[in-house]
Amino acid sequence: MKINKSLFLVILGLFLASAASAQDDHSHGNEPFTAGEFKAGETMLHHVLDTHNWHITDYPVGKNEKGERLYKALEIPLPWLFYSSEYGMQFYLSTEKLLASGHYEVHHEKVYHKGEHDHGHDEHADESHDEHSDEAHDEHTEAEHAHGQGKIYDFSPTKTVVQMILILGILIWVMTRVAKGYKKNVGRAPKGIQSFIEPVILFVRDEIARPYLGEKSARFLPYLLTLFFFIWFSNLFGIMPFNSNIMGNISITFTLALFTFFIVQFNGTKDYWQHIFAMPGVPKPLWLLITPIELFGVFTKPIALMIRLFANIAAGHFMILALVSLIFIMGKGGESLGGALGIMPLSVAFTIFIFCLEVIVGAVQAYVFVLLTAVFLGQALAKHDHH
Amino acid sequence: MDIVLPQLGLFFWTALLFLVTFFILKKFAWKPIIKGLKDREEGIENSLLEAKKAREEMSNLKSENEQLLRDARQERDKMIQEANRMRDEILAEAREKAQEAAGKELDKAKQQIDAEKKAALAEIKNTAGGLAVEVAEKLLRKHFQQPAEQKSFAEKLIADLSNN
Repeated sequence: MKINKSLFLVILGLFLASAASAQDDHSHGNEPFTAGEFKAGETMLHHVLDTHNWHITDYPVGKNEKGERLYKALEIPLPWLFYSSEYGMQFYLSTEKLLASGHYEVHHEKVYHKGEHDHGHDEHADESHDEHSDEAHDEHTEAEHAHGQGKIYDFSPTKTVVQMILILGILIWVMTRVAKGYKKNVGRAPKGIQSFIEPVILFVRDEIARPYLGEKSARFLPYLLTLFFFIWFSNLFGIMPFNSNIMGNISITFTLALFTFFIVQFNGTKDYWQHIFAMPGVPKPLWLLITPIELFGVFTKPIALMIRLFANIAAGHFMILALVSLIFIMGKGGESLGGALGIMPLSVAFTIFIFCLEVIVGAVQAYVFVLLTAVFLGQALAKHDHH
Repeated sequence: MDIVLPQLGLFFWTALLFLVTFFILKKFAWKPIIKGLKDREEGIENSLLEAKKAREEMSNLKSENEQLLRDARQERDKMIQEANRMRDEILAEAREKAQEAAGKELDKAKQQIDAEKKAALAEIKNTAGGLAVEVAEKLLRKHFQQPAEQKSFAEKLIADLSNN
């Protein structure tokens, strides 16, 4: 019995906006493509990584001469914006237009000058490149670029950037509405969206900012609130269909951790630096040992922040993807309806469970990130009087 | 291994968008929200304090009222006592004065009566004396119309004188 794989693709697409076919090529043009063999690892990785288009789903468009089903991707193309050492600032409305210019080629969501990409590992000819060849390819291109050939700095507003603009826009809209509530309901109980957001604001203020920052909490409260709501909203949006999971992208968590890092260092008191470079109450020779450790700690704290948030959110996403992929694995690429239907209840049940877990994890990780930011900041602001 | 490598473009966009959002939210959301929360909390605290104060004032007023009532009652009693005392005093004094005045009047009347009596007596005496003298003169005149009788009287007078 042959099951209609396109149906599953549509379902998968609807629920997770996943690039189920895991084909790097299909974004390069409007040519129909075959589904090929289903590879869970690739699909998952592809789904989590940033892209230069907003993929919604794939839809069937008939069959080729060999009788294989052909699909087209339903997606919104996103523009490319990058600096090329050869051509300067470049802007193209879509990947199609970029390729049509004839100067560039795109592999794995990266743009290269024509002919500068390593063709020895051309994954287009051979779709079944594994992680090993991927790594080799990365190393190779890095080496190539290091040799002074054309460099390209990609500043494209990718899917993650568009998603972030969306989230931040909604955040601003929600919060200004909440703020309006305070002007309208002066001396009265909160109303509407205000009463939903207010407990969260009070939580950040009373449970995070005040206990760790004390009298200076008012100064840092706007940063902590922005951080908390940005992470929380992002995580909530990340588990909604058609949305991208931006906190599962290390570039985002890296940036947020970097902000925390700078804020902590810039607000460090004399005591804070003294405890790093000249620990009081410790024999001077030991400073040789303690100072590198303390200095190391200064950097590991934000790095831990970055990895914790990224890993938690990405892991949750991988879990959901893996559970959904089970259906396709058991369905053997559309050949075994029994296998797919057999695993489906289990897969769906676990997915729902992980999904609920993700709702909690999304809030908890936002809390942990902001709490640790407040703790690190509190340590840097602290004035010790035991010496 | 793209997944664990931060990318320049994304870093740039995140930093830019986060900073822009931060400043917008700080100005247009967090500031009014934090102020609104603070105002409301202060308002609630103030109302509670005021309520407590009002309650205290109420109880103070109540006890004050009771005190006033008690004082008023005492005052009234005192005033009544005072009035009673004064009434008695005034009455006693009036009685005394009346008695005194009556006594004086009586004395005066007595004195007057005495004086009148004396004057009357004196007048009676005078009148009686005059009448007696007139009568005596008339008698004497009639008696002494005979020279013999004049002569015997003279002799008798001389005899009295010589007896002394």
